[in-house]
Amino acid sequence: MQLIIPHPGHFSALKEIIETKEAEGLKEVEEVYMAGSPEVMGSGRATLHAALIEDIKEQTAYAHQHHVKMNVVLNASCLGGYHLTFEGYKMFEWYFNELNKAGVDGVTVAEPYLIELLRDLPMETVISCVAHVDSPQRAEFFEALGADAITVDTNINRNFKVLEAILRAVNCGIRVIVNEGCLYKCPFRYSHFNLFSHITTFRASFSNARAQPLNTFGDYYFDKCISIRVRDPSQIIRSPWIRPEDMREYEAIGIEDFKISGRANTVNWILNGMQAYSSRAYEGNLLDLLDCPAELKDMFFIDNADLAGAIKQWKGCKKICEECRYCDELTSKVVGEIKK
Amino acid sequence: MKKEIGEGRRKLEEELKALTGNLFVPEAKVFEMTCGCVGFTSDLRGLQSDDVEVFKDRINALLEEISKSVGVEPEFVYARKLPGSEEVVTLTARELCERCKREFAGSKAPPRPDIMVLKKKKR
Ligand SMILES: [Zn+2]
Repeated sequence: MQLIIPHPGHFSALKEIIETKEAEGLKEVEEVYMAGSPEVMGSGRATLHAALIEDIKEQTAYAHQHHVKMNVVLNASCLGGYHLTFEGYKMFEWYFNELNKAGVDGVTVAEPYLIELLRDLPMETVISCVAHVDSPQRAEFFEALGADAITVDTNINRNFKVLEAILRAVNCGIRVIVNEGCLYKCPFRYSHFNLFSHITTFRASFSNARAQPLNTFGDYYFDKCISIRVRDPSQIIRSPWIRPEDMREYEAIGIEDFKISGRANTVNWILNGMQAYSSRAYEGNLLDLLDCPAELKDMFFIDNADLAGAIKQWKGCKKICEECRYCDELTSKVVGEIKK
Repeated sequence: MKKEIGEGRRKLEEELKALTGNLFVPEAKVFEMTCGCVGFTSDLRGLQSDDVEVFKDRINALLEEISKSVGVEPEFVYARKLPGSEEVVTLTARELCERCKREFAGSKAPPRPDIMVLKKKKR
């Protein structure tokens, strides 16, 4: 089992992640990932740090001294067509070369064209979950484009038939995200990634570098996503997260790479998740591990121990909730409201 | 309380202006969060992270004084930057709940890259 750890971006955070790995002998920690430069492109998630090439180079060298790989995430779901202009093409090519010179081990991307651009570089090309690889057919397309590893769409995390079919269909690595707290089949997923893609790049308009960043009135998708779960907590149970204890089920079908999401969270939150998934065990509120809005952790308590065995149902579940009702029943047993 | 918040906002704006040049404190408020944290926070326009580094002690003292005046114990004082930039957009003094104590004040590194820790109460 290998763990891929979120890195918020500041050097002192990387040092603390690595110190903890070494002090506690977390040998499963294999790789960290951080956002790239927002001048070049945005990313699919909230990005709190603007890393410059020099900074990435220094941090990569430090990670390597400690036998940890560095991956830079450039997984915007929308580039506004800029990548297909000569100017855009040249910029991405330049940036990828710079990352390569900086010693970066891998780049995570979602845009097919960028996958091809990365082909001639030795860095590992990792497909982001933002590319929504949810079937063997789609996995084959991405492998043919040049993928060395694919982070599958979290919506299939609890569909072992499809996971096994993907593993059989391709030779590249397959990664699953363990702690994404997103809604199963979220209606906002594409729109939200697109929103982040635009607000996390400094270039608000790709054709006009001096345009002001978007001044949105709020994050509609985020607020809706919380409200939906507050009204219907079974949506928290249906989310495709994987308990630390249940990673074994995935290893049993041949999945070795587990990615922890949450690079916009605090350092200590990240360390907590890293320890839990390294030890394959967690005692406490499952929501503390999930990369989901803090509001939910303040409202609900789900004792991780109460979820033992649920994976047996989920991994073969047909996902027809109307007929099944398993998650609804589980919700009434395990989801408690925190009394204030 | 209304009076103290208003005075705090004005004082912060005037003193920071005197230290760093033109800036603006459009909003100041006292908040309580469902996790249990309470705090005093002020929005800022015109302040940069370099200024915060240079005048850290003075800014700290100011935040402590204002937060005490509105009944908030300044256990954790921090500046928040706009992600990926050097613009400082809020200054906050906060009494942390147990979880946020672990998450925000529990690491040696700043908890997030957009947060500059100005003061952390020793436990
Ligand atoms: Zn709190």
